[in-house]
Amino acid sequence: MAKESVESGLTWEVRANSCHYHKPKQKKSFLCFRWGRYADNLLRSYKYSPLTFLPLTLFEQFQRVANLYFLLMMVMQCVPAISSIPWYITIIPLITVLSVRGLKDLANDMARRRSDAQINSRPCDVLVSQSFSTAQWKDLFVGDVLRIHKDQVIPADLLLLCSSEPHSLCYVETADIDGETNLKYRQALSATHNELTSHPSEEALAAFDGVVLCEEPNNRLYTFRGQLHWRGECLLLDNQHILLRGTVLRNTQFAYGLAIYTGTDTKILRNCGKIRVKTTRTEKVFNKVVMGIILSVLLAALLLAIGSGVFSSWVMSHTGVLTPLVVGGNPIYTGFLIFWSYIILLSPAMPIALYITFEVIHTVHSKFIGWDLEMYWPQADKPAQARNTSLSEELGQVGYLLSDKTGTLTQNRLLYRQCCIAGEIYGDASVRAEDVEPMDLSWNPFSRGGLFMSAPRLVETLRGQKCPLSIQFFSALSLCHTVMAEWKEEAPVYQAASPDEEALVGAARELGWVFLSRTRDFIVVSELGVTRQYQLLALLDFTSQRRRMSVLVREPEGGLKLYCKGADIVILERLQKDCPYQERVEKALELFAQACLRTLCVAVRSVPEASWEQWSKTLAQSAAMETCDREAVLEKLYDQMERDLQLLGVTAIEDRLQEGVPETIALLQQAGIKVWVLTGDKKETAVNIGYSCKLLDPDTRLLEWQELRQILQSPDPGVSFSKARQTDLWVVDKERAGAKTAVVLSGLELAEFDQRPEWGSTFMRLAEQCQSVLCCRVTPGQKADIVTLVRKHTTSVTLSIGDGANDVNMIKTAHVGVGIAGVEGGQAVQNADFALSQFRFLQRLLLVHGRWSYRRISLFLRYFLFKTCSFALVHIWFGCFNGFSAQSLYEPWFIALYTVFYTATPIMLVAFFEQDVSAESSLKWPELYKCGQRQELSSPLMLALSLLYAVYTSLVLFFIPFGVFYNTAFDYQTMAVTVAMAATFTAIIEVVLVTKYWTKFNVAAVCVSFVLFFICTRITHSTRLFQRSPRDYVFIGASDKAFVNPVVWLTALLTAWTAVLPSLTAYALNVILTVRDKQKVHSASNQPMELRSQMRRGTSLRRSSYALSQGARPGRHIISATSFRSTVPTVDEKVTASNNLTRPLSAFK
Amino acid sequence: MIGAMMASSYNEDGHITVSGPGGGTLRSKKPENTAFKQQRLPAWQPILTAGTVLPAFFIIGLIFIPIGIGLYVTSNNIKEFEIDYTGEDVSSPCFNCSQSFSWNSTRPCTCVIPFYLEQPYESSVFMYYGLSNFYQNHRRYVKSRDDSQLNGDMESLLKPSKECEPYAMNENKPIAPCGAIANSMFNDTFELFYNDPNGTKVQIPLSNTGIAWWTDKHVKFRNPGLNNPNLTAAFQGTTKPVNWRRPVYELDSAPDNNGFINEDFIVWMRTAALPTFRKLYRIINKTSNMVPTLPRGNYTLEVVYNYPVRSFDGRKRMILSTISWMGGKNPFLGIAYITVGSVCFFLGVVLLIIHHKCGNRSNSADISN
Repeated sequence: MAKESVESGLTWEVRANSCHYHKPKQKKSFLCFRWGRYADNLLRSYKYSPLTFLPLTLFEQFQRVANLYFLLMMVMQCVPAISSIPWYITIIPLITVLSVRGLKDLANDMARRRSDAQINSRPCDVLVSQSFSTAQWKDLFVGDVLRIHKDQVIPADLLLLCSSEPHSLCYVETADIDGETNLKYRQALSATHNELTSHPSEEALAAFDGVVLCEEPNNRLYTFRGQLHWRGECLLLDNQHILLRGTVLRNTQFAYGLAIYTGTDTKILRNCGKIRVKTTRTEKVFNKVVMGIILSVLLAALLLAIGSGVFSSWVMSHTGVLTPLVVGGNPIYTGFLIFWSYIILLSPAMPIALYITFEVIHTVHSKFIGWDLEMYWPQADKPAQARNTSLSEELGQVGYLLSDKTGTLTQNRLLYRQCCIAGEIYGDASVRAEDVEPMDLSWNPFSRGGLFMSAPRLVETLRGQKCPLSIQFFSALSLCHTVMAEWKEEAPVYQAASPDEEALVGAARELGWVFLSRTRDFIVVSELGVTRQYQLLALLDFTSQRRRMSVLVREPEGGLKLYCKGADIVILERLQKDCPYQERVEKALELFAQACLRTLCVAVRSVPEASWEQWSKTLAQSAAMETCDREAVLEKLYDQMERDLQLLGVTAIEDRLQEGVPETIALLQQAGIKVWVLTGDKKETAVNIGYSCKLLDPDTRLLEWQELRQILQSPDPGVSFSKARQTDLWVVDKERAGAKTAVVLSGLELAEFDQRPEWGSTFMRLAEQCQSVLCCRVTPGQKADIVTLVRKHTTSVTLSIGDGANDVNMIKTAHVGVGIAGVEGGQAVQNADFALSQFRFLQRLLLVHGRWSYRRISLFLRYFLFKTCSFALVHIWFGCFNGFSAQSLYEPWFIALYTVFYTATPIMLVAFFEQDVSAESSLKWPELYKCGQRQELSSPLMLALSLLYAVYTSLVLFFIPFGVFYNTAFDYQTMAVTVAMAATFTAIIEVVLVTKYWTKFNVAAVCVSFVLFFICTRITHSTRLFQRSPRDYVFIGASDKAFVNPVVWLTALLTAWTAVLPSLTAYALNVILTVRDKQKVHSASNQPMELRSQMRRGTSLRRSSYALSQGARPGRHIISATSFRSTVPTVDEKVTASNNLTRPLSAFK
Repeated sequence: MIGAMMASSYNEDGHITVSGPGGGTLRSKKPENTAFKQQRLPAWQPILTAGTVLPAFFIIGLIFIPIGIGLYVTSNNIKEFEIDYTGEDVSSPCFNCSQSFSWNSTRPCTCVIPFYLEQPYESSVFMYYGLSNFYQNHRRYVKSRDDSQLNGDMESLLKPSKECEPYAMNENKPIAPCGAIANSMFNDTFELFYNDPNGTKVQIPLSNTGIAWWTDKHVKFRNPGLNNPNLTAAFQGTTKPVNWRRPVYELDSAPDNNGFINEDFIVWMRTAALPTFRKLYRIINKTSNMVPTLPRGNYTLEVVYNYPVRSFDGRKRMILSTISWMGGKNPFLGIAYITVGSVCFFLGVVLLIIHHKCGNRSNSADISN
């Protein structure tokens, strides 16, 4: 047995109720050593323990090159032989940076620990020695048998053994896994069902000694392969028998399960993806620049050190004052020391203050996001939240928006809005659902509200029983479905596999056709208060190929009726000839499609008794068949029955969008952002939503897999050729539909990309020209893969937005993850960088906050680079005139105070408040956003220009005072004060040029910086400080004399002015040249954004979808006993299992 | 201000109940509608057009050029006379003296340099000595001093700072003043004689006080043993710098110009910024309004040549200069102002041309709107 299983890949062995077998193999780890096989069920998302916090956090922080660099600086400054500036100038900021970061990480980790603990301590019932006792999730172990109560979250991946329902059915809600809120069915093996439910369950379960052999833990949510070996039998297991961790048990009193995968082995956790530290693109570019600066500093230091060596040897060969000062009399050793000294001296070019300021600015930007009233959602009392504070400028550069559908674009509420019965259209979809006048339905005791259709005429017709077609229409809605009814407070509560069905049955209930209950063979319906019982003869299931479902019922009067509903194309071709109203119905279908409603056709057929008898016989025979083509035979049979239909009408359902979705998407598209939709839902639904949220235009051509595959495949090596073909394709398209093409893909098709990695770049090039890409039926892992694909093949910033646990992975993978704080569990928000309450807030987050933030941070970085480099590089030039001795041109105190006190506040306030255009204008002219996508303000070129400018400024800062003071009686200290003054003036003038938005704080900061320079200089040069420590305040009296010397002032002013002259000229040029551009932007987009919601849609593009969620024949479970009465259940199960093994995902097509 | 922002935000996130006038109710998370938080702070957004930016260039140009001219004229009006007495040239009177490279030659070498002043120097005249290729700004040199010692600290006097190495101790005695700067103090002396047309040689009085900064003389430099009139006793236990001929307490006979507060010493200790520099040596005070301080005519400069500079290719100069409000002669500043002013003006013109070329288009854009 073991050998066999190894061959088939089923190597994961789980023995029921045998703790002693699994316990020793528990996964354990110590430091980096890991052993054991089975993970425990403990969720550990935290990183630190008290012992590891300090080393880990230090390790992490010193992975930042900058921190390491500063540490090195500090160590070097402690060496007296090379210390050119005192050590305390670096250590205080470094410790601040390290501790602030460390504490922030610690706080985050504590929060994670708390939420972990909360999840780990959830209760569950575990079977211990013949009785269930409550345990916590973390105590669970592989092989344990569990009892899950109704509405309980399932704690591990379980094999369903049996449940309290007939046939050991049970229902689960998988919202946290795939985002679908409808229920899914799971069924236990008949063997376990039969054996374990016949006796008192606890004893039987305790005696259960089956062995499960299955795949190793993996992240495939929709497949499972395994065998159950029990009592000598080998039973096949598939996804139908598995309850996944994170799903919720619904509509089922109890379910019993055997834990197969626990903890990190579970499918959902395998799908989670790794936590990765996100750094922004600007930061990356900036880090490169920092590396560049460090390298240049090293190079400069090296050159200067060589110079120093040469100078020293010159000094050695000439007896002079300096000769005894050459260290050890060795020029090479002197050069070596000078190298380090210059590194220290030039290190302010890349000051640590930058990193502190950067953090502060990011934090403030995040606060602004949280403070924005326009992004506050009063209904839930939730403001927007920036959970990751260091990504704000990335929001201004987004190129790709990858959105989840359910709960993000849509509210996941389906509303019955319109119908067309016998050619008459009822309801008006142009009225917003909220504004619909509620009809008076007080005559109906079962009415519970929730019908957003106003059609008093219809009610009249129905109550007056004037139109037999309308009566049949609603009979069809109340009979033809797979909904389950549960009685709560004297009224049926519907539990449906598909929200569409729930909406239809709900609408029928409101209008008087109340589905009361169903048993295996009967459906009870109250029709306008009269309770009627229909015998359910057959349920002809929905599949995605058939795109329809039917029920065959015997009316209380004895007649046989087949009610059928399905997609319009399928139904219309099965109608009896010369069906009345067909034309009017087709017109109605068009109308509904224009209003972006989902439509279904409803039809009926009276079946003669004779034909039914014959048909049912054949059905019973073919159902008993064990061959693979049973499906095909069944399909043919069904087809025979569903013909000569009489069209009753059309239903139109609105998939409620979140507020403002179409407007937001249109605005974002205008801003140059590509919007993709990734959903676990079906293709039809996704496309429909694509249309209704204006992502797709009515004339958009959908490029589906077949065609796309051809394009991708076409002549294999020649991407060039395939490109030519593409352009052909596009040319044709351009003529026909203005290059409006959207790609529609499904998860299964995407899987092919794994095997053909070379398609990725071709696909992305194609997708770049497309209006949008819709991916349906994708697993959380695939969503992340798509994000990775985009990240890999474009340089754009990606943003993922989603609301459910199924979006967590893509949220983590994208550059920026946004979580919608919705109804579903908070997992998306927990893992997101930003949390919003509404999709439409995204426009403000991106176009206003993102744009501002990007602009502010770019300005800040460029200015900071300029100011520090120009300030520090002066030493290179001074080095040429002091024997390359690493003598500082500034007073040490000035070096310490310059970056923090004299020049930091004004630019920080610019980084807080700068607005080039107001929030309103940002939204009015979304084109302005493109500046960030193109990285116009923070491109390497711009940063390089800033650096070049800094070099120029440093030259000016040194050589003008040099010219003035050369061969004069002015001493070193006066020159130091003069250059310091000039540097400060330059920095202040430059920030004045940068600032375009002068709040009172900005004005104050500039003035304060200016005054502060004079005050602090006077203080550090004061007599009192000198007397306290003569060696540290040697500049005593220097500024007293310099500040009253006209030459010093004239020099400083001239130097500062010359230094900023290029910047000023560029500024003036900018003013002169952009006046025109601005007017262009303003005039081009002055007309208000027009939404094409009322656009006509081509006749041929009518859409209809029968949106039943699970393709896997939901009806089978309901009526398995009726339609397959003669089949032996065990055989049936085995066959299905094997079938499913061979085509695991076909059900999702 | 940042601190204040942080604090309020903490309250925001931490759901802290505020016991305001409403009582201790749980605060809604609704953000406050303040100008600051909504980023609607009233602000001045200067709308700059070519009309406001371009004049700035012309105005700056028009300000800088006159300043430059003024500076240049002022600088030109300053009279300056300079003699290089290094003695490199065989014909130079100091050639012989310059051949000695030693600091402590036993016999002082004197050289006499005659010169002729073509213009009378009316006001007070400053006499400088100038050194070239002398790296007084070399880091190891600049560091080589002990400000504590120079400030009269007794402890530092006897235990000079390590920075003074290798001039901290000599023969196990602390050096006062320690360090390379003090050790290399300029020790040439000048005497200036006016050769009267009638043949007499009149020595011109040179004032050796008032040449140092007030703060240096009165705060930064102080003799040890506060108010001890006996400097010799105060410097007990120390030795003179290696290169010096006399100990520090014998620099001058006047007690208020002796020891560390000797002004020549103080001037030397205020290190120069660049390798070519001047230092004030003496002041020739104006005596009367009628007679110029230095009349036109022949002069003789007698130099006691001690300071060796030829060993490191240095130069020595003596400079006589009148002064103005801007100090000594400095043509660079004036020229620089004129240059930058002209560049501004030129840029203004270029920008104006660019503006005119694009301005037309921008006008047409206006019309099309």
